[in-house]
Amino acid sequence: MEAVPPGWDPGQEEPFESSLIRPYSLTGGRTRPSRSDFSVTSQVVAVPSVSQERMDPEVELILSLCARPVSMAEVASRSGLPLGVVRILLADLLDQGYVTVRTSDWERRRPDAGTLRSVLERIRQL
Amino acid sequence: MMGAEGAGPVPDTLKIVIAGGFGAGKTTLVSAVSEVESLHTEEVMTSESVGVDDLDGVEGKATTTVALDFGRITLDGSTVVYLFGTPGQRRFSFMWEELADGALGAVVLADTRRLTDSFDVIDFFESRGVPFVVAVNCFDGQRTHRADDVRVALDVEERVPLLLCDARDRESVKEVLTELVALVLRLELSGA
Repeated sequence: MEAVPPGWDPGQEEPFESSLIRPYSLTGGRTRPSRSDFSVTSQVVAVPSVSQERMDPEVELILSLCARPVSMAEVASRSGLPLGVVRILLADLLDQGYVTVRTSDWERRRPDAGTLRSVLERIRQL
Repeated sequence: MMGAEGAGPVPDTLKIVIAGGFGAGKTTLVSAVSEVESLHTEEVMTSESVGVDDLDGVEGKATTTVALDFGRITLDGSTVVYLFGTPGQRRFSFMWEELADGALGAVVLADTRRLTDSFDVIDFFESRGVPFVVAVNCFDGQRTHRADDVRVALDVEERVPLLLCDARDRESVKEVLTELVALVLRLELSGA
């Protein structure tokens, strides 16, 4: 959780200002990802048995968090890294073959009526 | 679709945006039906968001940080619903863009003490064609506000579902979510 900016209070909603330098040092100063495959709900999975090069601890942390499919939002939450930084690092990992990503078709088109009825029923049963 | 070997199936995801002003009860609502996680964003300020209301006096600052709470509801092994809370004020519209993109729909969580907080985000969802319901959070647990009065005050059309809720109450929140999914289903069936 060291990447959390000083003064960060998870409960606070008001925005606060901070320097670009600290969070984006992990990305070599880049503020945009190499590709735009990721939405906050995109499911990311680490690819097993890729040769283990030496990696930044934050990158190793991210890979360990997505041993099973999780969303980009969950990776950001559990790593303590800002969403924008996670998006860039995951795009790098995808480029390098360390993760796979899948964005649900439902992000591009509405689920059909049968699916919606099923979702409705399951929410009622929660 | 299977994920990487041994990692288990990759679920399909649905995203629902919960938009409301500070203290409207977004996190409470999400926590009523799921475990809550928090993430933060470091957004590079754009000219569009600079100069709006509270940002006066912070010229020269490069980024703004916003906390987002979200929850995950696993409906079954293959379907996961994510609820994303987002502040409802216009200066957070950069987050609305990202969250509304691909969303099934949205819940505008209104606080009767600050109804004006909801105007901008209602306009946004309307302009983007994002299906939404308005849920009026009755904090005291008493339905002291009439839904019709709130509808008039917020100037939302009859076709937009508006209901009173208690964001602390699981059954009440389930009712809000089912209202939204039912709206989306009606839209799908009508070909809209």
